[in-house]
Amino acid sequence: MSLMLDVSDKVAPQAASGALKIAVRDLDFYYGKSRALNKVSFDIQANSITAIIGPSGCGKSTLLRVLNRMYALYPEQSAQGSVLLDGQDVLAPSYDIGELRARVGMVFQKPTPFNLTIFENIAFGVRHYERLSKTQMAERVEEALTQAALWDEVKDKLKQSALALSGGQQQRLCIARTLAVKPEVILLDEPTSALDPVSTAKIEELILEQSHAFTFVIVTHNLQQAARIANRTAFMLMGDLVEIGDHEQMFVNPQNEHTRAYVTGRFG
Amino acid sequence: MNRSLMRQRRIVNFIALCGATAATLFGLVWLVWILWTTLEKGATSLNLQLFTDMTPPPGTEGGLLNAFFGSAAMIGLAVLIGTPIGILAGTYLAEFGLRSKIGGVIRFVNDILLSAPSIIIGLFIYELVVRQVGHFSGYAGALALAVILLPVVVRTTDESLRLVPNELREAGLSLGLPKWKIISNVVYRAGATGVATGVLLAIARISGETAPLLFTALNNQFWSTDMNAPMANIPVVIFQYAMSPYDHWHALAWAGAFIVTVFVLLLSIVTRVLLKTRK
Amino acid sequence: MMTQHPDQPHTLRSYDDDLLGIRALVEAAGDLAQRQVLAAVDAMSRRDLGEASQIVAADEDLDRLQAQIEHDAISTIGRRAPMADDLREIISAIKIAGELERIGDYAKNIAKRIPVIAETAPVDPAVIIPEIAGFVANMVRSAITAYIERDADAAMNVIRRDATVDEYYNSLFRALLVHMIENPKHTTQSVHLLFVTKNLERIGDRATNIAEMVYYSATGQTAGTRAPAVSAAYDAVVPSEGK
Repeated sequence: MSLMLDVSDKVAPQAASGALKIAVRDLDFYYGKSRALNKVSFDIQANSITAIIGPSGCGKSTLLRVLNRMYALYPEQSAQGSVLLDGQDVLAPSYDIGELRARVGMVFQKPTPFNLTIFENIAFGVRHYERLSKTQMAERVEEALTQAALWDEVKDKLKQSALALSGGQQQRLCIARTLAVKPEVILLDEPTSALDPVSTAKIEELILEQSHAFTFVIVTHNLQQAARIANRTAFMLMGDLVEIGDHEQMFVNPQNEHTRAYVTGRFG
Repeated sequence: MNRSLMRQRRIVNFIALCGATAATLFGLVWLVWILWTTLEKGATSLNLQLFTDMTPPPGTEGGLLNAFFGSAAMIGLAVLIGTPIGILAGTYLAEFGLRSKIGGVIRFVNDILLSAPSIIIGLFIYELVVRQVGHFSGYAGALALAVILLPVVVRTTDESLRLVPNELREAGLSLGLPKWKIISNVVYRAGATGVATGVLLAIARISGETAPLLFTALNNQFWSTDMNAPMANIPVVIFQYAMSPYDHWHALAWAGAFIVTVFVLLLSIVTRVLLKTRK
Repeated sequence: MMTQHPDQPHTLRSYDDDLLGIRALVEAAGDLAQRQVLAAVDAMSRRDLGEASQIVAADEDLDRLQAQIEHDAISTIGRRAPMADDLREIISAIKIAGELERIGDYAKNIAKRIPVIAETAPVDPAVIIPEIAGFVANMVRSAITAYIERDADAAMNVIRRDATVDEYYNSLFRALLVHMIENPKHTTQSVHLLFVTKNLERIGDRATNIAEMVYYSATGQTAGTRAPAVSAAYDAVVPSEGK
């Protein structure tokens, strides 16, 4: 029995609220010979927050990492199908990976500050793309840190090593670093699962605040988090996209039996 | 029931603890003994003269200045030759050769070179350089030391860089940075301590190598800065003087041995401290 | 439109225990409420004053059950962060408990009138009252059963029966009105009986509300508008004026 609904349910007609930013069509993914994603198709609206939930091993992180072709680092991993960013297929070999990663940033589960000062952590990436004067760079760093709700805590210690920050601060620094290069889409792979509730709340708040300017896709194993912040949530199971919908649909009245079992805590 | 199990465990624990302490003490005993012996035996020669005079002919007082200089020069040159190659090779292995076949081959060959007897390496350079140019030289000595230093640096660089978590690389990649920038700015920074430690350990290793220098730099009684000629160095001097019948040569040899031992000990301590402070 | 079928349990067993506990309380409250209705009408027919005061006293139990249900439901929401059908079921439990408590109040209200009615002569149209009471009590029973079993179709069934209650009410209302006009000496009991009739109609309404909540809880959809009620109260005219 197929777990999926018709594709037509997920490839929604353009919502009045936003243009189509990313369209995933018939995406298959392989680790060597074994298939990890089965013909996954869905849409992501611009300036929205989309959450991907599902049990361990369902393929949600795999799916996320296809969106910025992070899997290209590993030769035995391959993807088939298409991922359209503003209409262009980014999985095509002709699409420049550097440009893709400039437009689609990523934040990881474990905070990964570089072994540099707080200021340099952010300036480093920016410098690769833009030639800014000292004042401009200082402004850019301040802007990024403010967007990441970290400015007040670090404005007096920009020249200190980033490794001296707490876990929650480091993660916000990584977010600031990603925001600073001004991508269009930001992917977050369980960004708060290693953090305490206060840091988690701050990061959720910053995502909500910045969603008017960026498109967020967030993988989370925390159902409540998806319920709190996502405009749309996708539920995955064993490599299939089982159901995708807004809060009302996914958490109050899910249509699919498997979705329902998962969100209510009937894990079988 | 539980009580006897706990008692058993406590006994086993105690025995193991005793065994470990005994083993430590055993190792320490030798170290202290060596240091003490070399200090005692060479005490008579441990004076300023050691560092100002040349190696003397039999019967005369002297020092080890030319040997110290020669060793320093050859070690220095060896480091200059071997470190860049070693670090780059180690970088290749860690960043590009993780899964490739050729990476595996390189690592294997490197491990062989790492454990090759140093006299073989000396012979090799002898054939390749000394025989070709027709005379012993400091350059040949430095080359031999470089060949010994190289696999150590390759191995430690490879391992240190591999310890850098992959997430850090991915973070750089996700910013859209090219691979070379990630290696030079992110990976190197994170693995710097490990790499530096590896170089220091390699230096400690080659500081005491005697056999290869026998075939390449030989020795030189007099002060010389000409690398293109036989060059004085501590290990060979110790070898020569220890085998001789002269007492004052013996004393000089002991003094030289003490200095070398302390030097290696200091290098290891510095390595430790470096590792600790940089987290 | 999905009717939930008997379920895979929650991985956290205590969660299931919480839900079963609330269901049991709702079932008990529903049972008590419909028994109160039947007992009140029965006591009225037999003019049993002792029974009447017992019914009034028993209403307290129903109030306590409602409070307990609310308390347990709120506690479960706080502890479990329920989603989907669990969420709908728990919210519905709170509202249903409220409806059942009101039903109990109506039954108590009927019982309170018994001392007055007992002093008066019986009235012909009143013979149909036990039948109406049986009908609405049945609605309550069916709605609560549908809740326990999460049966959307059974709930829809109850919703449709509301039309019948309206018919009962309208016809009895007119009959009492006519009787009152023709038998002015029976005005006292007739007026009381009008209130009783109204109470029974309201009980039917409440039962329908419960069924609508059950439907929502089971399917996630609202049941849609009921058939518009034609209430005799608003356009009843004294028959002799001809209509």
